[in-house]
Amino acid sequence: MVQAALKVLGGIERFVKSGDDVIIKPNISFTDYSFEYATFTNPEVVGALTALCVGAGAGRVRVMELPVSGRCEEEYARSGIAAAVVAAGGQMEAMSSGKFEETAIPGGWDITSWPVYRDVLDADVLINVPIAKHHTLGRLTLGMKNLMGVILNRGEFHSNLGQRLADLSSLVRPTLTVVDAVRILMDHGPTGGSLDDVKLANTIIASQDIVAADAYAATLFGLTGADVPAVVAGAEMGLGTMDLGSVQVEEISV
Amino acid sequence: MGAKPDEALKRSNGWRRLRQAVQILALLLFLYLLLGTARGGTTFLPHDLFLRLDPLAGISAMLAGRSWIAPMALGGATLLLTLAVGRAWCGWVCPMGTLVGWMPARRPRRSRSDIPPYWRQVKYFLLFTILLAAALGSLTLLILDPIALVFQTVGSVLLPGLSSRIAALQEWLSDIEALQPTVEWFDTHIQGSPLAEQNFFLPSLLIVLPFVVILALNAIRPRFWCRYLCPLGGCLGLVANVAQIRHKVDEEKCKPCQLCTLNCPTGAIDPERKFAANAAECTTCLDCLDICPRGAISFRGQWGLVAQPPQDPSRRQLLGSLGVAAVGAALLWAFPLVNKAKAQLVRPPGTSEEDLLSKCTRCGQCVNVCPTDAIQPSYSLAELEGLWTPMLVPRLGYCDYSCKSCGQVCPTGAISKLTLEEKRRTVIGVARIDQERCIPWAEGRNCIVCEEMCPVPEKAIRVDEQRVDDGHGGTTSVFHPTVKEDLCIGCGICEYRCPVDGESAIRVFPVS
Repeated sequence: MVQAALKVLGGIERFVKSGDDVIIKPNISFTDYSFEYATFTNPEVVGALTALCVGAGAGRVRVMELPVSGRCEEEYARSGIAAAVVAAGGQMEAMSSGKFEETAIPGGWDITSWPVYRDVLDADVLINVPIAKHHTLGRLTLGMKNLMGVILNRGEFHSNLGQRLADLSSLVRPTLTVVDAVRILMDHGPTGGSLDDVKLANTIIASQDIVAADAYAATLFGLTGADVPAVVAGAEMGLGTMDLGSVQVEEISV
Repeated sequence: MGAKPDEALKRSNGWRRLRQAVQILALLLFLYLLLGTARGGTTFLPHDLFLRLDPLAGISAMLAGRSWIAPMALGGATLLLTLAVGRAWCGWVCPMGTLVGWMPARRPRRSRSDIPPYWRQVKYFLLFTILLAAALGSLTLLILDPIALVFQTVGSVLLPGLSSRIAALQEWLSDIEALQPTVEWFDTHIQGSPLAEQNFFLPSLLIVLPFVVILALNAIRPRFWCRYLCPLGGCLGLVANVAQIRHKVDEEKCKPCQLCTLNCPTGAIDPERKFAANAAECTTCLDCLDICPRGAISFRGQWGLVAQPPQDPSRRQLLGSLGVAAVGAALLWAFPLVNKAKAQLVRPPGTSEEDLLSKCTRCGQCVNVCPTDAIQPSYSLAELEGLWTPMLVPRLGYCDYSCKSCGQVCPTGAISKLTLEEKRRTVIGVARIDQERCIPWAEGRNCIVCEEMCPVPEKAIRVDEQRVDDGHGGTTSVFHPTVKEDLCIGCGICEYRCPVDGESAIRVFPVS
């Protein structure tokens, strides 16, 4: 499915060149449950992306996340993502607290600087792979919210969350956003815990436009981009468009 | 008169070398078991091996809990060892004994101790008080058990302290650009090890005090703790009185040079009784065997009870100790050191105040294994009876929703072994929000990190949306959190994550 989605965009080769330093940033938090509970990115999706990047001749493919709770290695292993990545020829990397640097956000409307992970900014290719979930404050957590995995001081980040996510997205511009909507968490997110809240949507959304990707993902919840504050803020800032009518949406079935 | 120095040098060091090697190995094993279990690891031997071998902890726990605790029966092996070869545990195995023995000490010039011999009875007094208190249902005094003491010192204080200092050093060094790659390399390699950053609980520094005092007492006499205070030493000493293999002096070979007397680490040899060793004080270290220039000393089987030397407590003195101990224990029972008016502490899942009082050996295994540093030894003055029993400090660490380690490692079942499902349903406290400090309530800005983090599948925090003026002529939403007390299990991740400075705006309180 991942491969098909990317093919529509022109294939992985359009984004990953030979020798590139690639970082894939999935959501690896709340691994208390198995991936069927839709609380973190599906390991198969991450594995498939890793394999594609490796196949395109990337110099190295690193997969990383600073989990909300727990330690990197444990969360990586428990989620099953480590196994999938290694099998696909990529490598997991633990994020080190020393590599976060106070970084200026020149285009920010609310925040003008924040501690951001240096490697993510330096990489040739950044692929943002969120899982689509309900979130009380943010309404939904999708591509833009997933970028919080590369910053510190996350507690303070929550006031004016929508605008701040847009500000962050203006700095950290992923090459690609691939939304894992194979299973989505409809309620009690982002921690989940009940299979009753999980809906099998069997969808992968791939886009270079993070705002549009999030806006499309919202429709799977019966919402629109206008319901998600981060999407609204991102559109207002001109980071992308939430008007699904104006983008070319290719829906293919696999 | 005294032996010429070179005569003494001719003696062998074989036994001493062997003993020192065994001591080092035992200490390394102790450290391996501690470090291997720290924050949830596994070891190839039982993690609580040393505590299981400790008969004082075992007998006390079974007495106070009024139940048979199978793993702790291993203490019987130590008693059997003592019956065979005297206080060899003290001389060869005990980690506290090893450390106290390594600590430099003041060696008395004279062969006769100027500390009255009845001081040696203090350890019997402590022993009896501990056992009597245990019989009355309280294990409070097990803080004097050497295994519990040294494990808590290393596991609850020294290791977290060391790792937090390493983290601080890392941060300081990483400001120097040239050092950054080295610091990062180091950081990646200690991730997941016991040296990785731990949150240090400052009040735990109090635990170091008894340990430091014990080591400092060596300034008075070598191995002061082992000679005069250690209740486990007292227990083993009583058994050693009927040990089968004991120190014996061949009076014909002995030329009184007093080398043995001066070198005995516990001062067990009495020159006024033809250099016989007090069986209850001798730790079978075999130094005298090595050092005697005449080879007059041997350790051999001697059947039956040895005649009581003056140092040994006479029957009358022992009964006296027992009497004082009984009074002490009765006082403890009659005037409990618990201020019942004050609120209790938040405890780990699977235990109760009664269980902790009567089954917790204050060993510190749960503190060591807790992967989030949530469990810390209690230092509460309002509840002195529960000193060093485990409590939760949510601001330091939350009770992980997928962890059940504390119950798994508890040697006596003071914390029960729960399944994960049981643990997730166990209520250990309830969170309450201080609306005057909570950001949405007090400042009208959004936050609800507490609700976001709550691991209960139906969320134990509900939010109420309030529309407020956004200052630009429109309205915006502010979400106000409220705890659903019937769902909250008190895990504390809300208190841990609350971004308010200082005391959290949402805190876990114990349930009655």
